[in-house]
Amino acid sequence: MSDLPFLLQGAVVTASVSLVAIVLGVPLGLALAIVRWRRVPLLSPLVALYVSVIRATPAITLALLIFFGSPSLGIVLGAAPAAVLTLLINTSAFNCEIWRAALIDFPRDQVEAARAFGMPPRLMFRRVVLPQVWRTSLPALVNEMTLLIKASPALAVIGIVDLTRAASRIGAATYKPLPPFLAATAIYMLLVMLFVAAQRYVERRVRQRFEMA
Amino acid sequence: MWMMSTVLLGMLAVFSLSAHGQTLQEKIKNHQPVVVGTEDDYRPFEFVENGKPAGLDNELFQLLKAEAKFDLRQEIIPWTGLLAGVSSGKYDAAVTGALINQERMKAFDFAMPVAANMHFYLKRKNDTSITGIKDLSGKTVGVQSGSVLLARLPELEKMIAKTGGKMGKVVQYASYPEAYQDLANGRVDYVVNGEINLLGVMAERPGVFEMGQPVVETPSYVGWPVKKGNKEMLDYLNNFLRTVRANGKLEELQKKWLKTSFKNLPEHVEPNF
Amino acid sequence: MSRDFLVAFAHYDQYLSGLWNTLWLSAATLVLASIAGCFVAALMLTRHKVVRLPATGFVDAMRCVPFLLFAYLVYYGLPELSIRLDSWTSGLIALAVYHTAYVAEIVRGAWTNLSREQIEAGRAFGFAGLPLFARIILPQLFFASVPLIGNQSIYILKDSAFLMIITVPELTFAASSVQSTYFVPFASFVIAMLLYWLVTLVIEAMLKRVELAAEVRRA
Repeated sequence: MSDLPFLLQGAVVTASVSLVAIVLGVPLGLALAIVRWRRVPLLSPLVALYVSVIRATPAITLALLIFFGSPSLGIVLGAAPAAVLTLLINTSAFNCEIWRAALIDFPRDQVEAARAFGMPPRLMFRRVVLPQVWRTSLPALVNEMTLLIKASPALAVIGIVDLTRAASRIGAATYKPLPPFLAATAIYMLLVMLFVAAQRYVERRVRQRFEMA
Repeated sequence: MWMMSTVLLGMLAVFSLSAHGQTLQEKIKNHQPVVVGTEDDYRPFEFVENGKPAGLDNELFQLLKAEAKFDLRQEIIPWTGLLAGVSSGKYDAAVTGALINQERMKAFDFAMPVAANMHFYLKRKNDTSITGIKDLSGKTVGVQSGSVLLARLPELEKMIAKTGGKMGKVVQYASYPEAYQDLANGRVDYVVNGEINLLGVMAERPGVFEMGQPVVETPSYVGWPVKKGNKEMLDYLNNFLRTVRANGKLEELQKKWLKTSFKNLPEHVEPNF
Repeated sequence: MSRDFLVAFAHYDQYLSGLWNTLWLSAATLVLASIAGCFVAALMLTRHKVVRLPATGFVDAMRCVPFLLFAYLVYYGLPELSIRLDSWTSGLIALAVYHTAYVAEIVRGAWTNLSREQIEAGRAFGFAGLPLFARIILPQLFFASVPLIGNQSIYILKDSAFLMIITVPELTFAASSVQSTYFVPFASFVIAMLLYWLVTLVIEAMLKRVELAAEVRRA
């Protein structure tokens, strides 16, 4: 099957675009969550609006808007940057809510104790809040990563030959779509299972190292 | 809630200041690339084979690029965003198999045509229920979204009505390969596309499809659009096309990709549709 | 740019038609998936491996597959097995089957987290069988699952946009059609986005009322 290399190329595209968006999206989500948590004036309601609208937007609509709509704003984006930007914007909104939930649940007494000791806020965040909050957020963050991978086929409409588009191209050329689609399904499942397995591994290590009571 | 709405409206107002496009000379002077857009799968005008652009428009683009004294680039994207990209200034031109009609001429100026394309319908070879236009009554047709083939369907509607029938359901596809696939598996009964395109697909998949009769009275012309008023780019492309017409290169490429050649293409087209 | 918005607005009928299709597809999916999801959840909780394993396998599989790919499988793959459905049916089936798995997971989770104390207290008071189920278990299940299923309805709404690729004329398809005919991409998709947002706000408002009712009940 000479189609397999083409399919695998698509898989590589899916994996790389997703990975970049994930790696950038987790810290971006945290930054947005902090803006909301600390109620930064002017920015906080903007972030709330951004998160509300983006979480309601289908990935495919967002991709079409960013790629085909951006020239109207004078911004010219290639297909690959537009693809990464779409996934990044999408995942940052969800990550913001994940981080925010963990931040809100964070015990106030620890924050107050740190303040009573005169700890500067940035240091407190780095050494008290963050180490605990990322552990709480981890399952939800990984879940969001799998959701991102499952949303990535939306990029096919802006010309990115990802795994789904590659499978669909093969099907359209051979008029036998079932084999490439089933193969693509298997590859996606592998990717998702990889993330879930990685999450379980990290959770186990974290429990071993930090389990206190 | 109110704050969010005000902020949103404010942002939209700011973005109302539309982007100002640069002219060809400005771009060349500032060493900025001139970008043309091409569709990713519209055989035989442009498509991608084994990772390499192929087809009439892509070969013409290679010639264009070879003699351009500036940075000329190409972006290959789905049809959905191609014309919008030209009208918003993202692309300086679209080197593509676009058809010329009045609606488009409101937003674009077209370089001289590279082909004339009559619209035909394509049916399954083993579908004996369709022998002529009258048999298309009530049948489902597949056509590309945002195309002149879709825009000129009313002419077919009139033709069917004359035989006492009615046009069936119209299904719009993002690109033709998907339409042909659905024709093969029976979801649509016929697909409307240019004669050149249909001859191509029949050659690629022999025995599956058969071409019917024309569904319009006059052919559509295939031309490259530039944003309306972009005289520089238009003149640049027209000079190039005049040259390849004169030196026979266009005819050679037409024979190679379109399997036919057009000897007396006009320089300017005034469609009545 | 403002001219672009005017051009797009002029074709409001296309957006409304697309929105209508999106809404009823999503609503139909929600109903179908909720009912089927409860069945599948029951299958997942049974003692009989012969039933439990395929049910769990189905749910796990759907949760690992991108929806668009599944929609492609239904639309383009089934004809190869001689099952040819039109775009609407394919779209609805794809949405319903896919989200049945997610609802099943939600209901199964709610069941596993049922409050043991309430059930045992109920048994101590003499509740058993159908009354136990209807008056103690079912309300708990309901109020635990409904917020999550309501949340799922937002995912259903967003997944419906993928159906534009298999030619279902829903909202994003309408926006894409308008923009490719009149060359107003930014305006067109912004309008679509705002419409999705509005629908989501309405759904979230309705969910809040259900949550308030649940709070009152719990108190």
